[in-house]
Amino acid sequence: MGGLILRLAVFALLALFILLPLAQTFVLSFMSTLPREGMVEGQWSLINYRNILAEPALRESILNSLIYVLLNVALCIGAGLPAAYALSRYRFAGDRHFLFLLLAFRVTPPVVLSLPIFILFANLGLVNSPVGIALVHCLFNLPIAIWILESFISAVPREFDETAFLDGHSLPSFILRLLVPAIAPGIGVAAFFCFLFSWVEVVFARILTVTAGKPITMAINALFGFQTDIGLVMAMTVVSLIPGLGMIWFVRNHIARGFAMRA
Amino acid sequence: MKPYRNEAWLLLLPAAGLMGFIGVVPLIAVFNYSLHDIFSLADVHWVGAEWYEEIITSDRFHASLLRSLLFAAVVLSVQVPLGVGLALLVRRTGRWAVMLLMLVALPLVVPWNMIAMMWLGLIDPATGIVGRALAAAGVVFDWKFTAWQTWVLLVVMDTWHWIGLVVILAYAGLSGISPDYYRAAAIDGASRVAVFRFIELPKIAAPLGIVLLLRFVDSFMIYTEAFAINAGGPDMATHFLAIDLGEEIKGFSYGSAAARSMVYFLIVITVVWAFVRISGLSRQEA
Repeated sequence: MGGLILRLAVFALLALFILLPLAQTFVLSFMSTLPREGMVEGQWSLINYRNILAEPALRESILNSLIYVLLNVALCIGAGLPAAYALSRYRFAGDRHFLFLLLAFRVTPPVVLSLPIFILFANLGLVNSPVGIALVHCLFNLPIAIWILESFISAVPREFDETAFLDGHSLPSFILRLLVPAIAPGIGVAAFFCFLFSWVEVVFARILTVTAGKPITMAINALFGFQTDIGLVMAMTVVSLIPGLGMIWFVRNHIARGFAMRA
Repeated sequence: MKPYRNEAWLLLLPAAGLMGFIGVVPLIAVFNYSLHDIFSLADVHWVGAEWYEEIITSDRFHASLLRSLLFAAVVLSVQVPLGVGLALLVRRTGRWAVMLLMLVALPLVVPWNMIAMMWLGLIDPATGIVGRALAAAGVVFDWKFTAWQTWVLLVVMDTWHWIGLVVILAYAGLSGISPDYYRAAAIDGASRVAVFRFIELPKIAAPLGIVLLLRFVDSFMIYTEAFAINAGGPDMATHFLAIDLGEEIKGFSYGSAAARSMVYFLIVITVVWAFVRISGLSRQEA
């Protein structure tokens, strides 16, 4: 009985700690925080959310973020799936070096590579374009996608592949028609983490959007000025959380399994 | 035993090409810049290893390195025991576990530049919930000018941000333990400590290794949050390695910034190499 109460107390404290900053953000987003005609400061209002809808730059930033994040997820799954299959099923020259390279680039801080990537992408016309950000976010997302997919594929017995090949499936046909449905939760979890890390990243997203294509994070930064409408900032922050919350809900039953990788 | 087939590289081509383009090529470029003095892209002079010498022998670099190491050490010693402890508690909550995992995952979806802003709002003595509570209790939380308080704020904020990752990974390891082990331990009359040491720890060792590596490197190279909180202050007390680098890039001293990038990259690679050696990742075999 004492143990139960202790545990409840720990979880209540944890919930308080996690939710407090979010709660303050949420509350402020429904308040008018600038002096406005016919409204007292601190009055409850939906004005901040109406202002988001009324401001094209803010609406576009949400779209920009969604485009590069989804493109990044597609790239990581598309390139990661065959690589994860190869690493799961075969040994080959340099396989361990490839894994080491993935790990090394996953943990390389973005600020280390930001300068040459900017120059390289400027020469190729990839600055201010969602394609550029989607590509560069593969630096840390592709390794994650490969690890997660590899652990899910390795959980599928090899007889599954061999039977399919005996049935006359080619490798691409096997991967698309049989393997993908068999590891669907794994693809969901990999997509979740790619989405997540691409959505919250700011260093590359900032340097690669000089004049156009601003993502939601930079649009929020741009709201700070001489007289910052903190309510609007908070409303934008709340909006920026929605896709992530949706993704958490979407993978909630598999979230922990995705990381049960063999290391 | 997996069959040995070099043709498997064909499947790796898209991934390898992508990593080459966005990883290896820029890395070679950084190395090249680091050997030059760059006034503009048209005015470049060869200086050899001068930048490296300057950085490695400067007191400022040593001080930042120590600060970053200390920060990473504090972060790891707070977050790893706390995260593992929480995962052990979460494991025994049955169907509430999913709810609790979702709860701790929440901070992970907050954009990084918003995290510092949320926390600064929270501790604002005039408008923040925590700030007002502290002020009412008579506590002076002057984090802008008191070094240890900036540190406390950074560590608490970083813990808020990343504790979910530690809990989720530790939980993933724990959830692979069959109930039979616990029953056997109960029959043997094993203590709680023994259960953790001989049943739970071996199961979470692998995911915990990944946690240690990720948390070490990310806190060692902390930039966005630390810069937003106090820009390295007060009086350089939170001037970490990545903030030095950011300053040089903003100051357009590209040659020096590139050399610094290479030094940091080498440190990170050494840590990864040591991690792989210790954890035996390189001997991984199905």
